[in-house]
Amino acid sequence: MTLRLGLIFSTTGSYAALGQSALAGALGAIETLQQHDAHLITPVIADPGGDMAAYERMTREMLQGGVRHIVGAITSWSRKEMIPLLERHGGLLWYPCPYEGFESNDHVVYLGASPNHHVVPVTDWIAAQGMRRAFLVGSNYVWGWETLRLARDCLTRRGVEVVGERHVPLGETTPDHILDEIRDRQADCVVDSLIGPSNTSFLQGMAARSRADISPVQVVSFNQSEADLAEIGPAANGLLSAGSFFEANASDMLRDAARRHAPNGRVSSFFATSFAAVEMIVAAVRSAGTDDPSSVFRAAVDTPLVTAMGSMPIDPVLRHAMLTPRLAMARNGRFEVVQSAAAPVAADPYMTSQTAGKFRATPASHRKLRVVK
Amino acid sequence: MTRSPLHNFSGRTALVLHRSPEIGQRIEDRCDRLGVRALVRNEDPDAEAARTADLVILDIDTADDGMLPWPRAAAPMPLIGLIGSESPGRLAWALAQEVDAFIPLSGLGHLFSAMVIAHEMFARKVDRRAREVELARRGSGRLDVIRAVLALMEGGRDEALALKQLRTMAMVEQISLEEAAARLLTERQTAGGRAR
Repeated sequence: MTLRLGLIFSTTGSYAALGQSALAGALGAIETLQQHDAHLITPVIADPGGDMAAYERMTREMLQGGVRHIVGAITSWSRKEMIPLLERHGGLLWYPCPYEGFESNDHVVYLGASPNHHVVPVTDWIAAQGMRRAFLVGSNYVWGWETLRLARDCLTRRGVEVVGERHVPLGETTPDHILDEIRDRQADCVVDSLIGPSNTSFLQGMAARSRADISPVQVVSFNQSEADLAEIGPAANGLLSAGSFFEANASDMLRDAARRHAPNGRVSSFFATSFAAVEMIVAAVRSAGTDDPSSVFRAAVDTPLVTAMGSMPIDPVLRHAMLTPRLAMARNGRFEVVQSAAAPVAADPYMTSQTAGKFRATPASHRKLRVVK
Repeated sequence: MTRSPLHNFSGRTALVLHRSPEIGQRIEDRCDRLGVRALVRNEDPDAEAARTADLVILDIDTADDGMLPWPRAAAPMPLIGLIGSESPGRLAWALAQEVDAFIPLSGLGHLFSAMVIAHEMFARKVDRRAREVELARRGSGRLDVIRAVLALMEGGRDEALALKQLRTMAMVEQISLEEAAARLLTERQTAGGRAR
């Protein structure tokens, strides 16, 4: 049986670099898996170009055309556009990106990091470094709003004062007055939830200033990856980012696949997670003996696979993968992993473990990050 | 309004009143994802279960005042109404019961939103009721204020000075004007003497 697998990624538009990396991961996995069976998968590829209406149209066309499994969507906005269609047509989306949590839809498998994988370790790290004045800056849509809301909450609990918060429209350059404000408020760290050109212009602006008139400010990100690190250039040096996977964690096989498929030749969490998504789908379809989405989901839960990213079992209730949270520092176009959890950590998309409760349905274990020597 | 709405319900218990085991199971599944323990009842709940739950999710098609152990519109916890038939009479009942949030049976995937809304609306209702009680209490204390001012005027003060003196007493004791008046009158009565 040949599986028709939908791949919906914006490989053009304002966040094209992330879409290109994720698509390359999926294609790399397909090529690797087809070494033994050339007719295993037929990829059905669509590029919505970052246009929300196109996500809806292309998803509908794919599902009406008989595709039942899609790996795709980068932004939460695009995922939320796709969900009503997946519900109507009975499709299953394998979502490979870090996101802001507070979702658990029966037509989605969440393979990217949740807030307890990114916001919590980053804010722990900020507090541990002795930083006390944080400025929050993010893109003006749900990822920026929610990650910064969570960051404010976590930082405040850790005794770090939030001295300002600004949002930049998606796709726009970050204006200078925000950089002025960061200096004037004497922030010692900036939580950066900007994406695309807003992020690149912001980091370049900050780097130019740190060379000129202000003392260096630590910038932290919940989702910066190798997918668009090169675009930022030397301005990214010193940026701390959280992720479920960095290039430093990749095997030779994964690096080789990235060299052949990714336009920038790099392994990123987007690349690796899409690669792992395809591995999981193929194994689960084989195990289930059908491509029926609920049977495939059950098979994926029941027979966890050691993927190219390592072990990432899926929680049958929350539908999220267990992931290994890591923190990495950018240096000369690469990320050096500075902290890593000892084992995969359950996702806690609703952040239920952030306050003590009488009862917890799904134990979201909070293992301490260990320092990587 | 500076309070941010509650969005972590971990550890809470939801009493779920619905006669369909399938709906009950689906709600239990959603509750599970939110760290909420669901107690599903296919029949009228016992009073103990209803009183000890942190929130109640009920089928407005079949619920009635008699099955709930509190007077109409006086639930001591947030209520979420499950909308099935959309019959005007049942909606009227749910509104009279002051159900805090509604969710259609086709939208159980959005139970989290309903929980956030229900808890916030309930919190506002509690605040409003507390304000109303306080206003009523103050209203009933007005006569005491007049009596206390008259008592203080016995020393030859005019009414403005007497009221100012009563205000100062309230301020020093950090109590309301009405409480200060009541206290002054009680003290005078006990002492059988005059106001200072």
